[in-house]
Amino acid sequence: MIIELKDINKSYPGVVPLHVLKDVNLSIEKGELVSIMGASGSGKSTLLNILGILDNYDTGEYRLDGVLIKNLGENRAADLRNYMIGFIFQSFNLINYKNAIENVALPLFYRGVSRKKRNLLAMEQLERMGMSDRATHLPSELSGGQKQRVAIARALITNPSILLADEPTGALDSKTSREVMQVFRDLNSEGRTIVIVTHDPGVGEQTNRIIRISDGRITD
Amino acid sequence: MTDLFNEILATLSHNKLRTALTGFAVSWGIFLLIVLLSVSQGLVNGMEAMFAQRDYESMTISGGWAHKPYDGLSDNRKINLRDRDLAMLESKNGNVISSVSARVKSDSTTISTQKDYLTDGYVGVFPSQLHSEGGKLVSGRFINDSDLKSARKVIVINKENAEILYDKDPLGQQIKVGPLSFTVVGIYEHEWNKECYIPYTTARNMAGGTDRVNRIEVGLKNVKTLADGENAETGFRTTLGRAHRFDPTDDSAVWIWNRFNQHLTTSLAMNAIFIAVWVIGLLTMLSGIVGVSNIMFVSVRERTHEIGVRRAIGARPLSILKQIIVESVAITTIFGYIGIVAGLLVAGLINSIAEKEDWTFMKNAAIDISVAMQVTVVLIIAGAAAGLFPALKSLKIKPVEALRDE
Repeated sequence: MIIELKDINKSYPGVVPLHVLKDVNLSIEKGELVSIMGASGSGKSTLLNILGILDNYDTGEYRLDGVLIKNLGENRAADLRNYMIGFIFQSFNLINYKNAIENVALPLFYRGVSRKKRNLLAMEQLERMGMSDRATHLPSELSGGQKQRVAIARALITNPSILLADEPTGALDSKTSREVMQVFRDLNSEGRTIVIVTHDPGVGEQTNRIIRISDGRITD
Repeated sequence: MTDLFNEILATLSHNKLRTALTGFAVSWGIFLLIVLLSVSQGLVNGMEAMFAQRDYESMTISGGWAHKPYDGLSDNRKINLRDRDLAMLESKNGNVISSVSARVKSDSTTISTQKDYLTDGYVGVFPSQLHSEGGKLVSGRFINDSDLKSARKVIVINKENAEILYDKDPLGQQIKVGPLSFTVVGIYEHEWNKECYIPYTTARNMAGGTDRVNRIEVGLKNVKTLADGENAETGFRTTLGRAHRFDPTDDSAVWIWNRFNQHLTTSLAMNAIFIAVWVIGLLTMLSGIVGVSNIMFVSVRERTHEIGVRRAIGARPLSILKQIIVESVAITTIFGYIGIVAGLLVAGLINSIAEKEDWTFMKNAAIDISVAMQVTVVLIIAGAAAGLFPALKSLKIKPVEALRDE
């Protein structure tokens, strides 16, 4: 069990507190390719934030690869994100003044890996993504699909326990979307655990399991 | 470290115009600071150079006119200093006097060799005269104590006069002072003084019995403050007033050149100028620093998303903080150094003009290495301070920002 959520509750304080996640229970096995689907406002993003250790939850228990993720300090959370999670975002989130190889190498910078070793590993990842000929290009010089490949290379470089993708095809045309989804399927067949958050049924169909969330509850 | 530097270089070159404009404000502040510091250092040096030639821990006393009626005597009496005043000053004011010397002058005695002659006369002096006048010995020796004791007929002449009077090395040569024959024992040089020095006692003997002295030089000790200098001066007036029967408050009775107070006052004024320059310079710099701080705020604001992404992929908050502060220090230091270099160039230009135009009030208008270090330290601290608040703001950025669309 790589991801295990037990009775997770999360509400946002306010004049009328907003109860976003209600007793969410969820298990994801190692090597699964899972999509989390839901309409906007369903609590999908909040769930993603919690899975990605970007946000805290109120009650319950979240174990990631056996590690209890609860009430972590900022530094511990940052380190766990760095070591255990590979993020892939809808808008790629590459740093626009860094070229492809520097972007891919960035997570290792925060691990204190030397520049030389970092760039070597980054080049390896770019090669896997078929992007080695674009290594010195800036994001502005890449197409959407190419940017997402660079972003995937960046997520993979730390060899994380899970890949967490937030609408990875949301900014891509249908052809590129298919290509990117193929990349995910290939990675999955190599044994990677991948969680894709999406509202696009087309994307959901290509995963092995769909977890539907609606009004803060898992429905299936 | 190189990584951190590359990061900064990348972010700075990312927004070139903004970086340049902010940097200009810093450069300008530092530039003004350096130029002002250099010029005021030049003024101080010029002042010091004028004083350095004189022993400023001393006073010169000469006779004047008593203008206040005193002790039954009417006004407008000429006061003549006497030989016995020396011993009296020393015994009554021993706590502040380290040495007393005097000079007697003859204005009209002809001094001649076989080659040429001078009509400037001579001065009878004590051995301390050379130092207190600020002269420099070129060869031979100055008048010494045994010259005084045995009233020797020896003479020390100015270098330029030596060239007029002799074709060869004048040391040991004979010279005529009036009707008497003297031996040249030393040559000195001085900016403007060309007097011929002979021992005080010899001059007294030549004056034919009169015990008048033109000037008394008093070397000071234990005098530290303006008030000390003031008190010493009052003490001398009181002593002389008693001896010569004049009102000690009658400033014109004896004329006293209080070099100590003059020097101290000038030094204080110079220090005040220095402080003022630092204050002006730092305030000018402050506006530059505020600019840097402002720009860092904008930069943090603009890069909220980017910082969120960095946090999401594992940057610790402190590494972001460090990056912002180092970036701010880098902007301040790099542009500060441009300002320093420009300031030094302009200071050099001013200095070369001063040298060409022969401005005596300014000398070596340049800052020394310690000031450059101080400015550097100020720069780094200022840069860190400018970056601190924006950096603290960056700490509040949550990694969730990464998921928000721009």
